[in-house]
Amino acid sequence: MFSVLIDEFWSLTISGIALGFIYVLISLGYTMVYGVLRMINFANSEIFMFGTFATVVITRDVFHYTSLTESATGFRLVLILVLSLIASMLTSAVIAVFVEFVAYRRLRARGTNKLATLISAIGISIVLSEVMRLLTNSRPTGSGRVLEKISLGEIWGANIRIDNVLTIVAAAIIFILLDRFVKLSRMGKAIRAVSMNEDASKLMGVNLNRVISTTFLIGGLMTGAASFFFVTVYENTKFNIGFTMGLAAFTAAVLGGIGNIRGAFAGGIALGLLETYASAVLGTQWKAVTVFIVLVLVLLFRPNGLFGEAIQQTRA
Amino acid sequence: MNKKIQKALAVAAAATLTLGVVSVSQAQAAVKSVSIAYQGPLSGGEAQTGIDEQNAVKFAIKQYMATNPAVKVTLVSVDDQGDPSVAGTVAPGTAANKNIIAVVGPAYSGATIASLPYYKAGRLPLISPSATRVSLTNPKDKASFGGPVFHRIPSTDAKQGPALAKYAVQGVSNPKVFVIDDQSSYSTGLRDYVLKQVAKSTLVGKDSIPNDATDFSATLSKIKSTDANVVIYTGYFSQASKLIKQLRGAGYDGVFAGGDGVLNQEFADLAGKDAEGARLTGGTIPLADADPALEAKFKASMGVASGVYAVESYDAANIILSGIAAGKTTRSGMLNWIKGYNGTGVAGNSISFDRNGDTAGAGFINGFTIKDGKVVSKGQIK
Repeated sequence: MFSVLIDEFWSLTISGIALGFIYVLISLGYTMVYGVLRMINFANSEIFMFGTFATVVITRDVFHYTSLTESATGFRLVLILVLSLIASMLTSAVIAVFVEFVAYRRLRARGTNKLATLISAIGISIVLSEVMRLLTNSRPTGSGRVLEKISLGEIWGANIRIDNVLTIVAAAIIFILLDRFVKLSRMGKAIRAVSMNEDASKLMGVNLNRVISTTFLIGGLMTGAASFFFVTVYENTKFNIGFTMGLAAFTAAVLGGIGNIRGAFAGGIALGLLETYASAVLGTQWKAVTVFIVLVLVLLFRPNGLFGEAIQQTRA
Repeated sequence: MNKKIQKALAVAAAATLTLGVVSVSQAQAAVKSVSIAYQGPLSGGEAQTGIDEQNAVKFAIKQYMATNPAVKVTLVSVDDQGDPSVAGTVAPGTAANKNIIAVVGPAYSGATIASLPYYKAGRLPLISPSATRVSLTNPKDKASFGGPVFHRIPSTDAKQGPALAKYAVQGVSNPKVFVIDDQSSYSTGLRDYVLKQVAKSTLVGKDSIPNDATDFSATLSKIKSTDANVVIYTGYFSQASKLIKQLRGAGYDGVFAGGDGVLNQEFADLAGKDAEGARLTGGTIPLADADPALEAKFKASMGVASGVYAVESYDAANIILSGIAAGKTTRSGMLNWIKGYNGTGVAGNSISFDRNGDTAGAGFINGFTIKDGKVVSKGQIK
């Protein structure tokens, strides 16, 4: 039973980390919003789903890559990848700001309780997923293989594949940029201030609406980046893809401590590894069971997740 | 209870009764038209299967209507998405629609099991072109036995499982087989019959992956660590296309084999180059092979080529249509007609049903492969 874990430890670890980084980026969409508003953005899964379709549209409709065409190389490859990444990030960011505008802002302005916004977020999430269901006739959409999955060599018997490396390196860079932004920039400070004490920061002259919109925007950008990596690695998407991935990322956020950026990082990587190891050792049918048992155990001993709640704790 | 509500309910009940009586008496007076339903996945991940099958039913009805018959036939589309939970919500409406006297379908085994209680209660006869789970015609299996209403054209997974296992290892020296199911009732059933045929010494591993999974890397690692060179997947094509892409992406160059759930043109379309050479099975024969002239007519009439299970759907529809032509315009009349039916299918095979709803006599399983992006028949697996 454990022989596969021993034989394939490093290849499992690398794919687990690559999957983990995708979770990290999506869970930032949950964590940023929670940190500022203390509310779960249930529409984040659909923000992710729309992002995946943006990459598909760029590769399939703009550059005409189907599942039968040869992969791209050189400058063209870089161009397509960069454009797809930007398209996914922008699409998700626009949808995220739109969600904030229709599902959160008006209700907040009227001073409704937080449960009302929770329901309106679920509502907009259903609307978004149904729109895509109708557009695609509920069918799975394949994406052409733009990036040939060449092996970069072997380390300790593990096959180092370019798409995994790309995901890990690029996602790590994006994560570090976000971490620096929240820590050092003026807007980052404002976000942390609102997260710490909404009323006090308002009195200090922080523009609350702008901070909240920016938070959704950043969450959307991160989630959109995850969509791009997802399609590049797995080459498919569907209108309900957000549910599975969103649930996993939300779990990762809670595991690491929701509202905490570095917690999302730890939670995402831990979840990616846990899922991969559990599937390998116990069989894929035990993956979800194992993950939730571990989540419950972690929450029993650390009720606020591994790193504790709230963005403010990430300050230097 | 509130008086007003009581009153309203009474009025509603009375109205239902009167209207109900009226419609029944009209139906009895002179049957000018009846409906056949097609049930299968018309949207969702497996939609292509349902669209292909329904096209064949439409084609059969079109041909029947062209003879200017006394009783007109209309088609009712019932979309269960191939999903048992959806089937459980659409079947009651189909069972309650008295104008429907027979169903071609349901296409999928899990959806069939979920629909059966309603169709049994409504005595609505069914002929499935593609539900192959063995227990559907096993009277000992109380939970999923479909008698007396359920019938099917293709041979069951008891035949397909062993054939798939044989076909998968054909020409492979020193086969090492890895079997994967998707946890659905069709898939686990087929898996068990595959495993019966796979020699113990050649089976190197198994996995069971929920059909909404996106990342298969753990399974890929297991396949790699067991050195498997034959992977058999018993699920459906939308997941199979993801799995084969990841397998090939991870450098696996052995055999990929699947059953009739994978046998679909869309599998090749979704997986692209990675699908080339995949070995697929099905108790079906392509219409173009069975009757090229009819395929040409089909194309001219429907505007598209026929798909997988077209022959079986066409045969199923024609059994029902011949009953209508013979004046069987009630569910009970139709059920008796089907039970006593003895005719010839498009492929020249004789069709009659045994008491449990299976086609009598030996069924066949054909082998298929993907060549240049198209599903190609390789003939019967012996």
